[in-house]
Amino acid sequence: MQASSNLLNWILWTPFIGVIGVLLLPKSKENAIRWWSLINTAVTFALTLVLYSKFDTTVPGMQTAFNVKMPWISSFNIFYSLGVDGISLPMIILTGLLFFLCILSSWTVNKQVKGYFALFLFLQSTVFGVFLAMDFFLFYVYWEVMLIPMFFLIGIWGGENREYAAVKFFLYTFFGSILMLVGMVALYYASGKGVDSFNILALQGGKFSSLNLELFGTSVSFAKLFFIFLFIGFAIKVPVFPFHTWLPHAHVQAPTAVSVILAGVLLKMGTYGFLRIAYPIFPAASVHFADAIAWLGLVNVIYGAFCAMAQTDVKKLVAYSSVSHMGFVMLGLAAMTVTGMNGAVLQMFNHGTSTAMMFLLIGILYERSHHRWIVRPDGSKGFGGLYTQLPRFSIVFIIAMFASMGLPGLSGFISEALIFLGIYEKYTTITVLALIGLLLGAAYLLWMFKRMFFGDVIEECKSYTDMNAREIAYMVPLCVAVIVFGIYPAPVLNVMRASVGKLVSMLATY
Amino acid sequence: MEYTISTIAPIVLLPFFAFVINAFIVKRFTSLAVFISCASIIGSFFYAARVFFDFLNVFSADYYIHKTFTWFDLSYGSFPFKLDMGIYIDNMTATMLFMVTGVASLIHIFSTYYMHDDKRYGRFFVYLSLFTSAMLALVLSENLISVFIFWELMGFCSYSLIGFYYEKEGAGNASIKAFMTTRVGDVFFLLGILAIWSVVGSVSFVDIYQAIGMGKFNGLYALGIPLATFAGFSIFMGTIGKSAQFPLQVWLPDAMWGPTPCSALIHAATMVAAGVYLSLRCYPLMEAGHLTMFIAYIGGITAFGAATIALVQTDIKAVLAYSTISQLGYMVLGVGVGSYNAAFMHLITHAVFKACLFLSAGSVIHSLHDHHTHAHVQEMPRMGGLRTKMPYTFLAMLLCTFAIAGIPFFSGFVSKDRILGDALLMALDNKAYWGPAVLGFGGALLTAFYMFRMMFLTFFGEPRDKELYDHTKKEGLSWNRNVPLLILSVFTLGVFFSGSLTGQGFIKVSSEKYEWFKTLIVNPTKTDFSGRQAQPLSFTANPSGETFSKSKYDSTYGLSEEKAHHIHHVHHIGALVSIIIAFSGVFISAMMYFWRSWNPGFWVSLFSRWYRALQNKYYFDDFYIKGLIQKGLLPLNRLLAFIDMGLYDRYAIDGWEKVNRALFTISKWFDNIIVDTVAVDGTGASVRFFNVILRTIQSGKIQFYFIMIILVLTGYIWTLKI
Repeated sequence: MQASSNLLNWILWTPFIGVIGVLLLPKSKENAIRWWSLINTAVTFALTLVLYSKFDTTVPGMQTAFNVKMPWISSFNIFYSLGVDGISLPMIILTGLLFFLCILSSWTVNKQVKGYFALFLFLQSTVFGVFLAMDFFLFYVYWEVMLIPMFFLIGIWGGENREYAAVKFFLYTFFGSILMLVGMVALYYASGKGVDSFNILALQGGKFSSLNLELFGTSVSFAKLFFIFLFIGFAIKVPVFPFHTWLPHAHVQAPTAVSVILAGVLLKMGTYGFLRIAYPIFPAASVHFADAIAWLGLVNVIYGAFCAMAQTDVKKLVAYSSVSHMGFVMLGLAAMTVTGMNGAVLQMFNHGTSTAMMFLLIGILYERSHHRWIVRPDGSKGFGGLYTQLPRFSIVFIIAMFASMGLPGLSGFISEALIFLGIYEKYTTITVLALIGLLLGAAYLLWMFKRMFFGDVIEECKSYTDMNAREIAYMVPLCVAVIVFGIYPAPVLNVMRASVGKLVSMLATY
Repeated sequence: MEYTISTIAPIVLLPFFAFVINAFIVKRFTSLAVFISCASIIGSFFYAARVFFDFLNVFSADYYIHKTFTWFDLSYGSFPFKLDMGIYIDNMTATMLFMVTGVASLIHIFSTYYMHDDKRYGRFFVYLSLFTSAMLALVLSENLISVFIFWELMGFCSYSLIGFYYEKEGAGNASIKAFMTTRVGDVFFLLGILAIWSVVGSVSFVDIYQAIGMGKFNGLYALGIPLATFAGFSIFMGTIGKSAQFPLQVWLPDAMWGPTPCSALIHAATMVAAGVYLSLRCYPLMEAGHLTMFIAYIGGITAFGAATIALVQTDIKAVLAYSTISQLGYMVLGVGVGSYNAAFMHLITHAVFKACLFLSAGSVIHSLHDHHTHAHVQEMPRMGGLRTKMPYTFLAMLLCTFAIAGIPFFSGFVSKDRILGDALLMALDNKAYWGPAVLGFGGALLTAFYMFRMMFLTFFGEPRDKELYDHTKKEGLSWNRNVPLLILSVFTLGVFFSGSLTGQGFIKVSSEKYEWFKTLIVNPTKTDFSGRQAQPLSFTANPSGETFSKSKYDSTYGLSEEKAHHIHHVHHIGALVSIIIAFSGVFISAMMYFWRSWNPGFWVSLFSRWYRALQNKYYFDDFYIKGLIQKGLLPLNRLLAFIDMGLYDRYAIDGWEKVNRALFTISKWFDNIIVDTVAVDGTGASVRFFNVILRTIQSGKIQFYFIMIILVLTGYIWTLKI
């Protein structure tokens, strides 16, 4: 099994090889840099598909065939340890796909091309690191290092207010990371600094349920305290209300491809953190806080939708819709049932594809219009009659929009339905309230669509050209994914169900 | 032929593939796309016809086909979860399939006439194909989730078709209104599905019927409401949304922004029919949840209320739109009074005559072309005397008007009369049902009145817009304009529904025992589902050869002679009353608009306040849009968005920066004192060192603070000595 056991290494390091390649290419050879990046991400995506083809869907835990483990910092028992299971695989494939498509969409980036593509590939490498790491320290390192390319990608290639957004994104995430770091260190000490102290798998299973510690003179449950630490760390990434305000800034200011990655992949790192670290390590505490998580998820759903409806900047609207849709993931996570959790993981995947479509489309539009106003601050129309002017664009937009609002037949519906099936019995009231989110979700999207696409073509839109071949090329795979997984979700669900089922049955014992 | 999923699938897949193919080729090969759409739906019709006549040949209320496959399976260990998809065909499904494909085929054909000169001629057929296939799939669905999926897909199609002329502001608004209003119902529907799943562990109709039969819902509550009531109400809300019942009726009149053939499809065979179909499918649940009286009232109020609004409409399509709402009210009323069979029959008869009415209206509108505004004319005040210009359209529309007005021997009479008869029966049994019954009879009077008003205003009298009239060409018989209308109008004859369609002669009016509709469409609670097994039947006609004299499926089966007599008696009274009412309506209408002996203006001035209320559709739109949305929802959104960015983010989050800056200022100030005092002492080197550090911090490197926090916290945890 030597060949396949190196697969994760290859997935993790191929983008890094890409970075080195970009750095070696001369600055002036912009097209060479683009093509190299494209080929590199294509190879990476192909490797993730190879992983999918070799993946054994019946194994509930880690796929031992792919495990990689070697000592890294031996004095602290830190390992370079990689693994994959049914929860991370969909995320890995999503990462592979989205970065590949984003390189295509970044073809028009003209500012410091070399730096952009180097950082972008570097970002991919760190994202894979987060999804593959089975050592908490390694996970943390990737989680942190990822901030560096993100910071520069937003801060250099972003919009007018990019520096503010970059710093804000950085500090917000960093604040969460510190709490996570504290949690990690605490776990290191609590588990006796032994050989498995950073081993995510070995820490699992509620080993710390009965541990208490003295804090300001009162006895506090270790698990509950540090669950909260980890929770906040991950919740900022999701983002869970009230830690969400970095998101509208970062999304709006980031360049198109970075917004896509941010919404499509990075947000999922937060919920992935729950599934991989917070839940399995502190199962009792997770069950204890499930109600709070559900209510927070509900707030996300409703509050995000309400805020989205008031936006006049289309990118900000979609950014808030992400807050709302990630709320569904939180609801699924709170359910802790087979349906809810599978729905949550599926929603992570589906939201990744549908929101990526939305951001890519807004990027395509922005390249023509250089603004994103649905309604300008002076009350005039920002866009009008795009349906007539850009027919192909409009059709793709309709697919993305309806996938995003969970129209049956498109992917979002199945995950949302599963989440609702999962939470209904335990949280009937929350279900009833969260269903309002479905209503609002349709309302703000359709209203936005009407204002931008219906009506007569306004003067400034008359010069817009429809999608070109390159743009169609990177939209088509996402359209296919959204439609195919909407009709037949089994390929994704089969991958995750054993791993998710294992987690659910573990949580059910608490 | 044995019926399996793959042999039944073509009914749905033919139009669906037409949609897929046309979506790609429609731009370049418009005529081919149109041909594919029409051919596929006609093919589907022949297929459905075969299924329908096979079921007629078996002629058993117990027979059904139920086939499933696993869509996906999430089971793990002791946590089972499996979602099946599949088909469920009983007599109701077969009849629906036959009706939907038949009506849709004729609408397709008519559309080749009506839409031919439209710049988006091809695209119209793309939506039409998807719409029809979604409806067919819905009808075939064996479980509620599958129904929900196609239900929503139809919502999408109606959104696209109503917003077909999206350049117009009104069309855009109407499309959103339709989608959102029905989605209110849909969200409830989904809630109902969840509630049922929590009890039954499946949403298959067969499982639900069995669970109800076994009393699984008894003693369970959701949010303090008995679960059957909760689930039934939620699902019925879906019907209210989709079938435009009070109080969610507001979207349907606006749906006429779409092209007229699509109105015919939405109002007749697909969209709104799906709502009633759902409540019929879930009828046992409605009974178990004791919702029948609520449903009857909703139906009665809708039937009457919409009819009153229709009285004052001047747009020919608006009259028909309100008549649809009203007729849907009758179907719902039928569900409420336990008139299962008649409610479904009214669904079918209405689909036929309403499709025909809309297409006829389309035929009228399309040929009335205003040369000044280059628009088609829909306003009845500009019509009149068109009888001679469009004889075929007139004939078709007249027959349908007879049907909808409840003139004896026409289909509408057969079905509506049964609903009203059952309503009367219920009212005699339970006083509380007098409300719906009276509303129903009252609505029948209004229906006859406003439908004939429409006929008189359009086709009779002198042309009121002479120029328009003179420009209108005389109608010739054409295969895609009036032949579809005439075909549909033939099926407004009552015998098709009250007679026999089986091998014993196609139509046998006199013999009650061969009333195929009454015999075959049976309320699922009347039969024992646990004993009903789907059989792979070979369709030999009437296998046992038994005759269905007084079958157990007759509505009076198992009742005492006296009781049965009572039922028949009440039904006869009901029929008599509705005949009198229908003719009174026609008479009043004729007095006002044909003989013009009574001046309608007099009545308008007499009830001027009501007249205004009717013209404003009882102010529902004002309440929802100007009130709830513009005064409630949008300000709330703006407020929350302001709180989010303008207050919370600006002060609570960015405020931290201010706090940090203040801390820096304090330390700088403190530092200066130290610098001053220490500098006097002459230890400059150490001062410069501190100064450098603090200046570094001040330059905005807040990360440094975080590192400090990490060190402090790490140290603290270490001292905990865990």
